[in-house]
Amino acid sequence: MAPLLELTDLRTEIKLREGVVHAVDGVSLSVDPGETLAIVGESGCGKTMTALSIMRLLPPGGQIAGGSIKLNGQEISTLSEDELRNIRGNEIGMIFQDPLTSLNPTMTIGNQIAEAVLLHRDVSKEQAMERAVEVLDLVGIPRVRERIKEYPHQFSGGMRQRVMIAMALACEPKLLIADEPTTALDVTIQKQILELIDDLRRRLGMAVILVTHDLGVVAGQADRVAVMYAGKIAEVTDTTTLFSHPRHPYTEALFQALPDKAADAGDRLYSIPGIPPDLVNPPVGCRFAARCRYATDKCREEEPQLIGEVAGHEFRCFYPVGPSERSEKGRIAAYDTSLGEAPPAGPGIGDVLVDLDRLVKDYPVTRGAVLQRRVGWLSAVSDVSFKIRSGETFGLVGESGCGKTTIGKLVVGLEKLTGGVIRFDGKDLAKSSAREYRKERRKIQLMFQDSYASLDPRMRAGALLREPLVIQHIGSRQEQHERVAEMLDKVGLPRTAAERYPHEFSGGQRQRLGFARALMLNPQLIVADEPVSALDVSIQAQVLNMMKELQRQFGLTYMFISHDLGVIRYLSDRIGVMYLGKLVEIGPAEEVYLRPAHPYTRGLLDSAPVADPAQERAKVTEGVRGELPSAIHPPSGCRFRTRCPLAQEICAEVEPPMTPFAGEGHFAACHFPLQAAVGSPVTVASEQAALS
Amino acid sequence: MAIPHTEMSGAVVTEAAPTAPGGGQISAKPRSLLRRGWEVFAESKLALAGSGFVIFIVLFCWVGPHIYVTQQVSTPIENAYCTPGGAHLLGCDNLGYDTLGRLMVAGQNSLTVGLLAAAVACTFGAIYGAASGFIGGLVDSLMMRIVDAVLSIPYTLVIIVLVVIVHPSTLTMIGFIALIYWPQPARLVRGETLSLRTREYVQAVKVAGGGRSRAMFRHIMPNAIGVIIVQATFAVADSILILSLLGFLGFGLPPPTTDWGSMLSQGLNFINLGYWWLIYPAGLLIIMTCVSFNFIGDALRDAVESRLHRR
Amino acid sequence: MTGYLIRRFLQTIVVTILVTVGTFSLLHAIPGGEIRAILGVRATPAMIASTAKQWGFDQPLYVQYSKWLWQLLHGNFGYDISVHAPVTTLMVPAAVRTIVLAVTGTLLGLVVGIPLGIYQAVHRYTAVDNVATGISFIGYGAPTFFVGLLLINWFSVEVHLFPLYNNANPLLSQPTALVLPVITYGFVAFALWSRFMRSSVMDNIIQDYVRTARSKGASERRVIWGHVFRNSLIPVVTLLGLSLPAILSGAVAIEVVFNYPGMGLLFVQSALSTDIQMMLAITVLTTLLTIVGNLLADVAYAVLDPRVRYT
Repeated sequence: MAPLLELTDLRTEIKLREGVVHAVDGVSLSVDPGETLAIVGESGCGKTMTALSIMRLLPPGGQIAGGSIKLNGQEISTLSEDELRNIRGNEIGMIFQDPLTSLNPTMTIGNQIAEAVLLHRDVSKEQAMERAVEVLDLVGIPRVRERIKEYPHQFSGGMRQRVMIAMALACEPKLLIADEPTTALDVTIQKQILELIDDLRRRLGMAVILVTHDLGVVAGQADRVAVMYAGKIAEVTDTTTLFSHPRHPYTEALFQALPDKAADAGDRLYSIPGIPPDLVNPPVGCRFAARCRYATDKCREEEPQLIGEVAGHEFRCFYPVGPSERSEKGRIAAYDTSLGEAPPAGPGIGDVLVDLDRLVKDYPVTRGAVLQRRVGWLSAVSDVSFKIRSGETFGLVGESGCGKTTIGKLVVGLEKLTGGVIRFDGKDLAKSSAREYRKERRKIQLMFQDSYASLDPRMRAGALLREPLVIQHIGSRQEQHERVAEMLDKVGLPRTAAERYPHEFSGGQRQRLGFARALMLNPQLIVADEPVSALDVSIQAQVLNMMKELQRQFGLTYMFISHDLGVIRYLSDRIGVMYLGKLVEIGPAEEVYLRPAHPYTRGLLDSAPVADPAQERAKVTEGVRGELPSAIHPPSGCRFRTRCPLAQEICAEVEPPMTPFAGEGHFAACHFPLQAAVGSPVTVASEQAALS
Repeated sequence: MAIPHTEMSGAVVTEAAPTAPGGGQISAKPRSLLRRGWEVFAESKLALAGSGFVIFIVLFCWVGPHIYVTQQVSTPIENAYCTPGGAHLLGCDNLGYDTLGRLMVAGQNSLTVGLLAAAVACTFGAIYGAASGFIGGLVDSLMMRIVDAVLSIPYTLVIIVLVVIVHPSTLTMIGFIALIYWPQPARLVRGETLSLRTREYVQAVKVAGGGRSRAMFRHIMPNAIGVIIVQATFAVADSILILSLLGFLGFGLPPPTTDWGSMLSQGLNFINLGYWWLIYPAGLLIIMTCVSFNFIGDALRDAVESRLHRR
Repeated sequence: MTGYLIRRFLQTIVVTILVTVGTFSLLHAIPGGEIRAILGVRATPAMIASTAKQWGFDQPLYVQYSKWLWQLLHGNFGYDISVHAPVTTLMVPAAVRTIVLAVTGTLLGLVVGIPLGIYQAVHRYTAVDNVATGISFIGYGAPTFFVGLLLINWFSVEVHLFPLYNNANPLLSQPTALVLPVITYGFVAFALWSRFMRSSVMDNIIQDYVRTARSKGASERRVIWGHVFRNSLIPVVTLLGLSLPAILSGAVAIEVVFNYPGMGLLFVQSALSTDIQMMLAITVLTTLLTIVGNLLADVAYAVLDPRVRYT
């Protein structure tokens, strides 16, 4: 079967002020009709540029410098703009990462989709609109005829992405290019969108190029995978083989850096040292050599070619992982992945340090022309209670709008409670005097998500780290400087970093700074709000390792807030699952992960992509259907009932209480849980599941 | 306690500067924000040309009279309307003053009023706007309504009224112009303050136990300075224009103090007689000075924005 | 959207009150005031006092203010003592003439500036862009009256192409007299709008939705006119509303230069003769016009931007 799309030695450059970035440097790929090819890699590897190059949608300063792109045998890289326009939106459709900014805010969605049709088909405006209705229905937008006149901002994130897909498919293209289509979406919505794409692919007989950084997504969706690094393809093969027998050291390292894999073994994550190379002056020789644990001089001087030993599996390495003729010669001793001996145990888990008792946080919703009367309340946190013991890591997980970030802010004192009590070390902080509060503040610190926004761009790193000490009047100037230096050492940054400005650091380094700042006041509890969400897998591993190590050294307690189940499971001793302001399940990490009791937890676990194709294919349930309800008018009774496959009448009337389950400290709030609660009769859930 | 680097990165890495243990490299040389801003600024040839002209004109006005010495206090009336050339490079005006020399003296006034009025307006406006944004709530609303009110009145009318009430001197003129200009920087700075208030690095101050004033003075204001400086540059150009308009209408600085606008106004009486030297030089200087400040302001704006948006 | 508009309207009322109070106090601070102006320099204190009593000037300020405001709400702008006629008889025709000038001039500026701005943004850094930028900067930096006078010099005096306004004949009978004032007006307006449109289009053209449009196969032309144009226009509308005071201010200079009997010229004349009633009336009227204009701009903004409409 002739390939639908064939890239041969594609090279794309971007002219910047500092020089020319060789973003795509000799990429060769092919996509067969009807298959899904995933291009995976970390930021800066060139995957997005490759995707954009196909239709020549490059950013200003970008251009294709060489190579060929053939669609159905026809060369398209040399077509004129006019000719290329016939292909865009017609033979090839594309969807982008952020559906909010990718849709014209002042044009109705109906018009935007109709435009796609009118550009390529000779039909009337009414007919184009009909097609728009048809295709919006296909992607699952409810009440299409009404919503077709609405504007993008009136849709939720998931709905907007569906609109984008509809727009891309309006003219039934043969190929759909999806550039990180679900990165900006919640996990449960992500699953819906990915399944939609897959379903449409089969129905319309399309091929799909899926660009992503998430190996879990790859495992679940792709037929074949190409791993990119520093503008080149490191390895390409079919999905099953890649996950079971990766050959390139980078691929191997990526898998070992994934929290998913490590969680089973309880190991430290392998973190790839250093950062990717500069693509303005790319290194001679293998691009991964500087960070590769197997690298030899040959690797640094000569560049390996992308060749394979077995058909369909190619990689770019002189000393690939696993048995191979090449690898026998001159291979250094296999790296022991157990990473040295186990560190001495930390202080261990002690008494209750933080006690959250029936917390409530409501935000006023105002309306009204002049006087801004309050018309309602946004229930961000509703009657949430749990305890965190000293020395443990408590993971708070949930999707957007669940209230986990709000709880973090309440604990840290950035927001005031509407109701409930927070007790720290036995003391109710809200009742303490101003001075005492200030002192107690030192013991609870926060690590922000967005490292760039949390560091004042005008201050040097050293000053930023010193600031907490200055505010709290701790130590003399000299002592403060010493402590800054000490802390920089602890987080793995050179002492000279104190002189630099935030913009001079990479994302991972900034997170280290943020963490160092949180440590300055010697806190007992650190609330980490999505600290690694914005980082690449390899950098993420570095930061997670650092956090784990320092926890052990300083006897810290963590409240780790994230939407990433893999990371949460890896780090946490106990997990709390939140949905729309409520705590729906809580328990030891392994318990919650392997034997969830709440349908939402089950749905969340099913939706979260796991980097194991076998597991992904084994997933039976469809995740969580539907959309998040409004937090201003949350559903009565159980808030999850509108999306729950097991919901009954009682769920709308009575709010389910927290009931205990097998496994110590395992609780869930559900009338029809997935396993028998302690002390309850025969499971009701299994019968229900059989019926539905 | 020394930490073997193994535990940081999972691989044994010797600590040799500049490779950070496990942290990866940091960019080669320390580049402060000021330097980066300067680089962007210097890219604009227009801005460099503008800066060059501003330096030139300042020297022209203040150093010039020492080089090209002329009589600006009392002159023989028979010199009136002399044509350019000889001892008087740009001719003389209706009272016999040497035009070129007078341009220098007038320039001193125009520039002084322009620069100081801009400085006063922007300083006061910045403090007002920052306070309003910082305090928030009803006070903020009221303060902004006052700003709206002042902005609604066409400024020419106000300043004419002011000039009629109080016959101006250089000092009062600066005050008047500042009085009509201050709402603009006030509104701008308030907007900046509001947006910066929600930034996470301001929240971080609270988490560390710091108070609102610390957040305000150590974090918000320094980050708003860039915007203020850009505004101030444009304010200089606008002030010079306002002053020249007043001079033209006859409400300007009282004689013998003169400014370019007044010179222009007088000269325009003789447009029919073709005494171009009484008209074009003054007009040209006004235009070029204002244009220069606009170039500088534009480039500064790019520099400030690039600093904030980089990466 | 209705909520948004109601709120703006109420804010407007607050602003208007502040403005009237402010202007009223300001104008009554003029030493001597109207009475002295009318009665002349040799008026004795007794004469002043009796005239004051006669016309009600001796009452406390707030009483005068409330009386005046009351009259105002009935459409009575006051009685002009010096010309012995209600203020409105002089002011309204002048206002009409000013509005004609301002609207035509601004329209000219928009009609030329907006397409040019778009062209510049699409063909940025080409020769045309640079030349247009240069001309815009001169438009910023050149005093309006200077430009006006140059135009008069070149086209009316030397070439006799466009006649100057003749006060004796009504406006409509001499349309060509409007040409030069409108062009002067338009020149400054065009500078502002073309610059602004250029930067607005440049901001929009790098947005993600433009890339999406291209990915659908839209031509550059369709991208610009079907997508970018409307989104770029939105900030222009807002700016239009905000620059109304400046527009009306600018009219003053032009009217004086061209001897065009609009409100600006009237104001200057009133200032020179200390005719307080007239000055007050004109200030209030122009402010009201500004405020109404702002409100209209807000409505237009809501119409253009659906994000405001549906939240």
